[in-house]
Parts: sequence; structure tokens; C-alpha cells
Amino acid sequence: MAAGADAHTAKPDISVIHAENPVIDTKLDKGFSIILADADDDTIGAPGERRQPGRPRTFPQHSEQNNPGAIEAPPPEAFPADQIPVPDRWRLAQTLDVKTNWWDPYNQNVLKGDEPVFGTQDLFLSLTGILDSVVEPRSFPVPVGVQTTQRPGSLDVFGEPTSLFLSETAIVGASLFKGSTAFKPPDFEARIALALNYNFTTAPERLILNIRPTAGLTRSDGFPGVQEAFVEFHLRDLSDRYDFDAIRIGVQPFSTDFRGFLFQDNQLGVRLFGDRDDNRYQYNLAAFARLEKDTNSGLNDITRLRRDYIFTANFYAQDFPVVGFTSQGTVTYNMNREDGKIHFDDNGFPVRPALIGDDRPREYDVVYLGYNGDGHFGRINLTASAYGALGEDRNNVFTDMPAQIRAFFFAAEPSYDFDWLRVRLSTLYASGDGNPYDNTEHGFDAIFENPQFAGSDTSYFIRQAIPFVGGGRAVSLTGRNGELIDLRSSKDEGQSNFSNPGTILLGLGADADVTPEIRLTGNINHIWFDRMAVVEALRQQAPISSDFGMDYSLALIWRPNMNQNLVFRTSFAILDPGAGFSELFSTSTRDKLFYSGLVNAILTF
Amino acid sequence: MLSRRVSRLSAIVAAAALYCAQVDVVTATGVRTVAASIYPVPAAVSLSVSDVQKVLAQAIAEAKARALPADIVVVDRVGNVLAAYQMTGALKYIKTPFTGAAADAVDLENLKIANGDVPAAIAKAITAAYLSSGGNAFSTRTASMIVQQHFPPTTPPTDLEGGPLFGVQFSQLPCSDIMQRYVAGGTTIGPHRSPLGFSADPGGFPLYKSGALVGGVGVMADGVYGYDTNVLNVDKDAEEAIALAATTGYAAPTTVTADRVSINGTTLRFSDTRTSDLKSKPASAPPFSSLPASTGALVAVNGYYQSSFGIRAGQVFDTEASGIRKSTTAEFNNPDGFILTDGTGHNRFPAEAGTDAGQVTSPLTTVEVSGLLGQAFGVMSHARAGIRNPLGSRAQVSISVVDTNGTVLGIVRAPDAPVFGIDVSVQKARTVAFFSGKHAASDFSADADRDLFRHPTPPSPAIVPSFVGAFRSFLNDQTQLTGKTAFAARSIANLSRPFFPDGEEGLPNGPLSRPLAVAPKNWSVFATGLQTALILDNIASGSNTVAQCTALPNTSTGKNRLANGIQIFSGAVPIYRGSTLVGGIGVSGDGIDQDDMISFLGLYNASVALKQSIAEAPVGIRADRIVIPVHGSPVRLRYVNCPVAPFVDSSQQNVCDGK
Repeated sequence: MAAGADAHTAKPDISVIHAENPVIDTKLDKGFSIILADADDDTIGAPGERRQPGRPRTFPQHSEQNNPGAIEAPPPEAFPADQIPVPDRWRLAQTLDVKTNWWDPYNQNVLKGDEPVFGTQDLFLSLTGILDSVVEPRSFPVPVGVQTTQRPGSLDVFGEPTSLFLSETAIVGASLFKGSTAFKPPDFEARIALALNYNFTTAPERLILNIRPTAGLTRSDGFPGVQEAFVEFHLRDLSDRYDFDAIRIGVQPFSTDFRGFLFQDNQLGVRLFGDRDDNRYQYNLAAFARLEKDTNSGLNDITRLRRDYIFTANFYAQDFPVVGFTSQGTVTYNMNREDGKIHFDDNGFPVRPALIGDDRPREYDVVYLGYNGDGHFGRINLTASAYGALGEDRNNVFTDMPAQIRAFFFAAEPSYDFDWLRVRLSTLYASGDGNPYDNTEHGFDAIFENPQFAGSDTSYFIRQAIPFVGGGRAVSLTGRNGELIDLRSSKDEGQSNFSNPGTILLGLGADADVTPEIRLTGNINHIWFDRMAVVEALRQQAPISSDFGMDYSLALIWRPNMNQNLVFRTSFAILDPGAGFSELFSTSTRDKLFYSGLVNAILTF
Repeated sequence: MLSRRVSRLSAIVAAAALYCAQVDVVTATGVRTVAASIYPVPAAVSLSVSDVQKVLAQAIAEAKARALPADIVVVDRVGNVLAAYQMTGALKYIKTPFTGAAADAVDLENLKIANGDVPAAIAKAITAAYLSSGGNAFSTRTASMIVQQHFPPTTPPTDLEGGPLFGVQFSQLPCSDIMQRYVAGGTTIGPHRSPLGFSADPGGFPLYKSGALVGGVGVMADGVYGYDTNVLNVDKDAEEAIALAATTGYAAPTTVTADRVSINGTTLRFSDTRTSDLKSKPASAPPFSSLPASTGALVAVNGYYQSSFGIRAGQVFDTEASGIRKSTTAEFNNPDGFILTDGTGHNRFPAEAGTDAGQVTSPLTTVEVSGLLGQAFGVMSHARAGIRNPLGSRAQVSISVVDTNGTVLGIVRAPDAPVFGIDVSVQKARTVAFFSGKHAASDFSADADRDLFRHPTPPSPAIVPSFVGAFRSFLNDQTQLTGKTAFAARSIANLSRPFFPDGEEGLPNGPLSRPLAVAPKNWSVFATGLQTALILDNIASGSNTVAQCTALPNTSTGKNRLANGIQIFSGAVPIYRGSTLVGGIGVSGDGIDQDDMISFLGLYNASVALKQSIAEAPVGIRADRIVIPVHGSPVRLRYVNCPVAPFVDSSQQNVCDGK
């Protein structure tokens, strides 16, 4: 299986590595439709014939069978009565003399959980190995160091814009489970996945990679992270068709919705989940205590626990309101109690509280009420999310007073398939705060988003963190792999910020399955700020236009074996700044356009 | 929401109208003339005697409610002390803090100053009045936040750079030759000196009437003349509560208080005390006239206030009697230009030629000085204010030009520029002219200051000359301070911080600073290094000190080159004729990046207009060519840092690039 969008980065999200997960991973499959397309759609049909959307099925001419002289099949009694001995059904293929190789993950393999281990009948071991390589050249508005600059003659705030990011992640995972693989949910599972990341970054100016002025223009870092470590117990079966309840305890993947808009992460928690009515209804009840993230790899640091907790419940209904469409309702409570001492990231930047407004530590309670849907209405595919965020921020950074949180979010991506071409329309609205001083925060922010939307990590806007130069030190307009202009210090280590300008995105995209091995994806997104008041107040600058800019991206995905064991991606995106972006940041001829390139290879065992 | 939109729209309209209205004309001599005014003049209001009495009464009521007898001082916007009131039982001393070992304390640290309490209250009132304007209301708590080794100052510390106004506490000094002195029974002409420079001790607030800044109130009560080293907590300070109560009815509009001003995304502190924290009801405080004599009394402060004259009314700002007035066309040909006046109609600092003919071949000419002032003023008129509200305001600053003798060749300012920038712009201009000049090493070496606070009787070693050796060693160049390098104010700031590079914890100090990371770890806002060493003995000599802050040798003008002390934050560049230093231009009153830009671009534009007769320092000798290795890492000095989104009427960025 492939990883989700983020597995190709320094911040692997291996939540989607495992297809076996009976509940959530079904949803996550939608996530890597971006990479995979709807592979299962394409492979159903007559042998040798692809069913193609928009093209009527052609059937062979009706023909009358007329075989004079044909011989009738022999009666059953004609066959020998003695049975061929088969140790268990898993080894049928072996009995039939199918050769397997331990190093071949695609065909039957005992190391991939296709056969029981240790001579058992129902204990399986599945090993996973992933090598994820990223080469990412990019540019963004970069300030020169305040205290010292790399070059002489740096007389203004903006310096050179280019940076290179390299990342290599090795993930090794093992899953031991008891059950009947695909035939019924496992009775027990224990799984662990360790990720080892090495990353190397260059910056064009001082104080980008490290807060210390004496630090140089390159940074290399490595970190071993625990991305999965859980046990799962099958509590009970409720029907002959294995409707079940199960509980999973430990570091585990979870996503609050289909596209990772609110919270998609591998975190420490307890999750009770199951299904009903032949899997038409599914539910999750979960609580997470968030692990600290390592700064430069984004991996979990199991030695440090944040004072940030998530309690969530959701309910999925398949074929509701129409056949082919799944609806989900969710309630998620994020309890943040991080008003203690300053938290510095590994590069020395204070990230909690963020250096924004009064800089004072704060805590907050916010409840997200959400509806999410995914599927199709006839020929129109649709995925949609709507969230309302209600709660209280104990310290508004503009007023130093408690403030109400009242924010909402809506995103929808309808698409339509023309044969091998899918055309998508991406729309997103995240409310912004129009008055930072009224003690009501209208800026929507997520907990830990990982959006598979509007081009995902191939889009400039979603991929790149843009430093809020002059408006917040160690604060970004948008986080890396995030779609919200939320002015956070860090998506990984920072707190949610509801005093933000909000985001509006309107995009057009297309996925072209040029061949079964090659997919070409293009996206054009126009992005706006929703409200400028917060940005204006922090920049001590007004008026500022709300036009963020145009984001053009093109991505090529090559799967030489038509599976997920070898995936190569390359993409290139350009941000053409709008008036607002230009009024905030550099507009000299040299860096009129900003770019984000990505070359990514994922080798999976 | 509606009002927000309307105000934004009106701001756009106003900006457009202003831009259209402003027609800059550069004459053949480089003198810039502007057709129409773009800055509003502050409302003609002032504190009356009854206003002052009310302010005092409200403070007294809060002090009584807290059982904390206090000294309360009210000043007007130009520093006239309108009342100095000492409640019965108030502590008659101040102590300056020092957290290290007592033996390591230096300069103004760890001192107990008898009868320093009322002067401290004056300093607090003046700090608030001078740092503020119609567009920004700053308190002494604001001052505390912007003068420390990190911005913001926090516990635990970050590695962030120092405060933007690092060192401003040593301005408006009692020895300043720019600031006016109180003449018993006489002049109201400001701006006046402060007995202790600027204060970072919470308990000083600006006072407003009709949205216009009319003065400040300062309260001293607890005997500790300190500052707040951690802005992350809420610092409940009784002096601040008493001062806050005093401002009732005269409070700064909430739209301009420091907490609405963002420096690089961090908003400034105005008050950690809220009105809900007050223990009295200021609006119903017993009237001043009803207070029994046992409450306290007005007290005289030699050189600042004469109690026998009673409570005085404040001056209307920007009038002849305030010492700052609109310029005539002949004085400075800009409809928004304001100048310092002597009360009898004479410009105290008219544009004039350099006095350093014996030192430089061709001193600055009057035409060059007025052209330079005009060009800098023009840059200011387009500059986006870094510290003013409403958002979209234009910067308002004071601009000074000096020659290599440190003689002031001209000062102009915008109508509502904060008053502190007058003295500070001169300090900055003198600092860059001095450090870029050929006399720096010899002048410092001849300075005989000996720290009279700790060594009142000789013999004791001179404390200034050692900075020459330290500076030269640090730059690994024994010929430094002889005029070979052009130091901008930002370059000197880099070298004047307790960590080098600025902000990086654990590293030794710059050569002009006291250390914090290495022994004796005695840097503080009361001991910044060379800056304090230069003026220490004048402070120690009391309120009758001479109007000349340092003991450097005098020039042919009869004064020394740093007559009001040095300043160690950004906003000035040296002026060259070819490769010869001829002076310095200093700017103060807005954000430091704005101050940098107005001085730098002002000089650049003047050099264009004047056909390079004066110019920026040659690129090759600017301080940003100097690289100092720190633990193997090259640390380059900076020259200027022009701001993001520099102008209100264009979307240009990086406007200083290549100049």
C-alpha cells in the first residue's frame, strides 16, 4: 500500500500503510486516491478490458452455441474419491506449486502476512519496510538576519529566496495478528512502526534554520520516531457477518475526516471502534494525548508528552443519503493546557506560545462539530467537509483577555470523470477574524491538518510554510502541508491560533491517467485571505489587499509495476503572488514568482 | 465591523488624497519643497491647573487605598514639571537593582540614591510623555520591554535580538546640551531634560485630552527603581496602579495604546494593571483642594521644579511657548516642518554650515544641510509608521544633522513626532560621526571619567579608555577608531550588546558592552557599557551638572563631540563627501527600521539631488564589510535595515538595496 500524501516527506504519516485496518483505513483510501486514482474502479470488468467512465460497455455479439459432436462433462462419480491433503487454506497456493520469494512483497509472502507463522494456523506476521526519499528545491520570501547577515550590502529586510530540502526516511514496521486475515477481523493485533529520518536543509540567509545568528546556512538532523506502537483487541462479534467492537491502545493512526482537514496523525491514544448492520455503520470513540513532534523530522518523540488532549467521536453511515455516498458526523474536543513555560523547538525558536501578539502563554478549549461526506451522486463525485469550532481561548493574544472561539470551515471537491480524465473543482473557506480586539476569535484553525486536497503537497500553497516576515518571528502564514492561513509558529509543535485571517481557496484540477503506470495531475488554485485585520495589526500596515495569489502545479506519478511498491513522483509548483502577498513581501523582479519542486521516490516492501 | 470597514476605506481615500496632494519639488540646490501639508497638527489642548490637581488627587486616593505613600509627578509634553507631590511617609530614596554578586555591580547598578524618589517620578512622567504621541501611547512598562537584552524579555530567555530601543534609557540626560533646563520662575521652553534619563520602572503613563497627548504622570513609591525582566507573566505593580488611577479621565485612547502596536508581530506592553485592579474609585477621589495638609506637599527639585510656584499649567504643544513650533518657510521649506524654538521666535537649530573647517577640507554647507533635512523629511512623509496608529499612518520623527565636531547643524521634526527623538536623533548622529571619524580612539583615550559613584575620591582608574583596546581587539584591527570604517548606528548597536552577536545567549559581549554570559556578568539597563561609562560622572555630579555629558576633550567649538552621550540603537548614518567623513544624520521617533531608512534614504536622495556633493559612505568602507569570527562562524556587522513595506503609498520593497 502507498503512504498518504505526507509519507513522501520528512513527516511520514504511515497511517495509510496498512490496508488491514477495517475501519479507518477504508476512509483513508480516499486520501491516496490522489496518488493511486481509483485503482479498483479501473480493474473491474471483463479480463483484458478496462471499464472506462463515460464510455459504454461493449459486449461480444450474442452467439448460439452449436457444437455437434461435443462430449458431455463426466459425472462426479468419475473423479477419484481420495482427497489431496492441504495443511491449511493459506498454503493452498504452495500445494499447487506456486513459487514465492521472501523478498517479493507483492505476491504471496509469509513475511507480509499472507501465511501463518511458526507453524500456526492463525497467527500472522506482516513486515513493512519503506524507503522514502525527497528532494525539494523551493523559494519563499526570506528575511535577512536581524543581527547579522550572510552578505554585505544587505540593507533591507528581504534577502535571497532559495532553499533546498533533502529528506530520507526509512520506516520499518511489524504487525503480529491473530485471525483469518481478510476473512474476518483479527482477534488480536500488535503493531509497531519505527521511522528513521535524516534531513538536510539549506537556507539562503541567517536565522532561518536556527535562531542563533552564528548558526550557518545548512542544517542536518536525524531522528528516530515511533509512528505506530499499539495493541488491538477484538472485543466481540455482533453478527454472522462480523460486525464487531474492538479497542486499540497506543500510538496509532487516526483521521477525523476523509481528507485530513482537522486532525490526521499518528498519536498516542485509546480508540474504541466497530461497525454495525453489515458494516453499513461505523463508529469511533477515541482519546489522544499528543506526543511531542521532533522539530525537523516531524516524527513522534515518545519521550515527551504535550499537555494537549483530543477526545473525539464519529459515526459513519454508508449509502447515505444516496447509494454510493458515505456520510459522517463527528464531535471533537481539543483541550489544550499548554500555558506553562516556553517551549523551544530544536532550532531554538520559541514555538509555544507563538511570538505573536502579547506572546503570553495560553490554553484553550475548542469543540469541533463536523459533517463529512465522501462518494458520488450519480456521475458526480463529491467529497465535502464542514466544521464549526466553538470554544474559549483563555488568553487572546491581542487583548490579554479570555475570548470566545467562533469559527467555521467548509471544503468541497466535486469531480467528474471523462474517460481517463478526472476534472476536479476545489473550494475551501476557513473563516477569518475581522476584529482582533473584540474578544471573539473567528479564525478557523485545525488541530493537525494533513489535507489531501487541491493538489496536496504538490501545491505551493499547501506544501510551503511562508514566514510571516515582519508580522511574527518564527510564525508562518501557512504551515507546511497545511491549507490554512493560520499564523501558527509550527503545525507540529505550535498551538492552534484562532486569531487568524482565514482562507478562501478556489481551484480547478485534473488527474489524467495517461497510462496505467503514469498519472499526470495539474492544479490551479486561487487563494485569498478572508479578513485582513489580524495581518494588518501584526504588520502595523494597512490597508493590505486580500488576494494571496495564484498557485499553479503539475505533478507526475509513475508506478512502473502498477502497484504501490514502487512509486516515483515529481512535481513543480509556482506561486504567483497576488496584491496582498506583494504588499506583504518582496516584489522585486528577482523573486516575483516563488516555486516549490518535489522529487520523491517511495520504495515499499 | 462596519466602522472598521469605513475606517479602512477612509484610510485608503485619505492616503490617496494625500498622495495626490503632495507634490515634491526638488530645486536646483537640492532643497525639497512640498506644496501641501499631509500631517495633522495635534489639537491645541493642554493640562490646566485643575487637570493636574485631578490627576494628583486620583493618584493620592489610590495610594491611600493601598496604604502606600507615593511621590507623584505630572509633566507636560515638553517636560515642564507641573507638580511634584510627595505624600507624607513616602520613601525618600531609590535603589537600583542588581541580581548578581554585589562586588560585580558597576555604573548605576546597586545604588541607593538619597532623595532620588522625586527625580525618579519625574523621569517616569517624562518617559511616558516623551515616548508617546497622538499615534502611540507608551508607558514606562513599554520602555522596560524595549530596552533589554532580548525582545521580548522573558524567563527563560530566548536567543532573540535585543530591544529595539536598547539604550534609550540614557537619553534626555540632565547633562544633555540639547535638552532645556528649568530656570527658576522662568522659561517654559522645552523639551526639558530628565533627572535620570528614561525610566523602565512601571508607574509612568502618558496623559491625553481630546485624543491629544498633553503630558505624563509618574509615580514612585516602593523605593525600587527597577524594570520588568519577564513580560510573559502579569506583573502586579502598586506604582503602576497608582499611576493608572491618576490617568482616569486623561487616559490614552485605547486605539493608540502600546498594546496596539506590533513590533515584528509582538505587541508592546502598556499596563499589566487593569482598572479593575484598582483599589479606589478614581473618578470619585476626594478633590485635591479638600486634602488635609497631612496628606503631603509639593516638593522642590533643584533644576526641575520650584514648589513655591505651586501647581503649574502645561503648555500647548507645538507652540512657541512649548519650545517646538511650526517652521517658517525660510527656516525649513516644508508645510509640515516643525523646529525647536527658544521662546522668542528663534530657531534653536537652524540649518547651518559645518564648524569643522580645521578637520575636513570642505565642511557641510548650509545648502547641503537644508537639502539633506528636506530629503530625509520627504522620505519620512512617505514612510509607513512602525509604531503609530491608526494603521496606515505615516512615520513622524525628529531628524538631526551634525558635523564631525558633533555640532548640531539642524533639527527638523514632524508635528506629532515623539519628543524623545529630538535628543536621541542628535545622540545617534553624533555617535555615527564620532565612531566613523578619526578622533574616536584619541578622544576616548583622553576621557578621565572615574566613576564618582563608587570612587568619589581619587585616585581611581579612568573607565572609558579601556573600551578602545577592547574594540580594536574585538575587530582584530589595532588601527580601528581612526576613521577607516563607516559605522552606522546599527553597526554600533551590534557592538554594544551583552551578547555578540546580539541575542545569542551564552556568548561574550560586544566590545562596547558589559557582559552577561561571562564574568562578571554585570550588564543591565543601568550598566550598558561604554554608553554608561561616558556619562556616569555627570549623572553623579547631580542636577547642576554641566550641559555636556562626557569628559572627552573639547573641539574648537568649546564642546566635545558627544555632548549628550552616545546612543546604541539604530537610526543614523555617517555623511561623506567622496571618501571624507563630513558629519552624520540621525533619526528618531518611529520604528528603528524606519529611522534607519529615513536617515539612509534621506542621505541617498540628497546625494542624488545635490549631484553627489555629499553621499553615503563608500560601499567598501561600510561596517557591513567587517566580519568577526565567533566560534568559527563569521558574524558580519550590519549597516542599516530598511523596513518591510516601507511606504504607505507604494508596494515597493527593499528600497535601500544597492544604494
